Amino acid sequence: MPPRIPELGRFAEPALLILVSLSDGPKHGYAIMTDVEAGTGRPLGPGTLYAALARLEERGLIEAIAPVDRRRPYRLTAVGATVLADQLRDLAEFADLGLRRLGRARP
Amino acid sequence: MIGLLLRFYPARWRARYGDEFAALLDERSLGPFDVADVLLGALDAHLHLRGLGAASEHAKGFAMSLRIGGFAAIAGGILWFSGLALSSINQGGDALFALAFGVGTLALLIALIGLSAFQARQYPRLVWAAFVVPALGAVVSLIGMVGMATTGDLPFIGTWSGWSIWAIGVLALIVGSALFGIATVRARALSRPAAATLAISSIVVIPILLGVGVLDDLLPAAAAPLGMALAALAFAGGWVGLGVSALRIDRARPVAQAGGTA
Repeated sequence: MPPRIPELGRFAEPALLILVSLSDGPKHGYAIMTDVEAGTGRPLGPGTLYAALARLEERGLIEAIAPVDRRRPYRLTAVGATVLADQLRDLAEFADLGLRRLGRARP
Repeated sequence: MIGLLLRFYPARWRARYGDEFAALLDERSLGPFDVADVLLGALDAHLHLRGLGAASEHAKGFAMSLRIGGFAAIAGGILWFSGLALSSINQGGDALFALAFGVGTLALLIALIGLSAFQARQYPRLVWAAFVVPALGAVVSLIGMVGMATTGDLPFIGTWSGWSIWAIGVLALIVGSALFGIATVRARALSRPAAATLAISSIVVIPILLGVGVLDDLLPAAAAPLGMALAALAFAGGWVGLGVSALRIDRARPVAQAGGTA
């Protein structure tokens, strides 16, 4: 299945995790990291996080809002929400297909 | 340690993200995984910033196509309907009608290009297929208007008069608008109610323009012009609605709840 978040290469998966993390409200970098780690059980390194954040911001899928102290929160844009919804819908369809095939293959 | 790690990043990157990145590293006890990840991130930032100019231009072009498409759809819908209204009440003469219709058609063509470019990121085949028919229709109708202005009722291209060419172009524009509305409903990127309004009103207007007289059969004589006017108004309203939704997306309003800041 082709990725729907365009041209992010190896940062496509972290970008998707970040978009999902921001889908319930703005978060700063550390909150995104802990949210992703809590949700997936896998660590998201700070270098990877900011490489993905920078790409998402360049593409207009997220935007920075006014910093609180030195921490700058990010939030989804309307375009980012549309792209995320499309990608999650595709992933759900793909997961359904895989589960159906598994069910059929089961002896 | 944090200052040293930050120095591996390019100055341009540090100017934008340095403070918040340092704050993030302050909040986290750095293990070997984090240090390695930060160093790889710094390498990526150096490589990525070299190509940033091109990516930035691409994003600007993307937003610009949405903005131009949005404004053009609003202007095109209003002018197109104004031209139709002027021709119906026949006040102000042919010149005003031609001006409003011509500029309106040109604006709708620009809107089609801008909004198709935006939507094609998601459904390229569907959106571009729905773009071709109305765009050709808009171009043909503009050529027809030039013919009407230059040769009047005489043949303009072959045996076709300017009016005939214009009418075929307008018909294609409306048929294509129905396709564009359907494609837009599917693509989900712009307002679906506005796209559905455009598609339905276009389908209603087509038999009227073809002279089938469906409304004449279905409605009392006095109500038929009203039905035509309402369908035309809905057609223009559909374009205006799509334009407004495009401008709203261009502003990239936040969709998340403001109270959720973590």
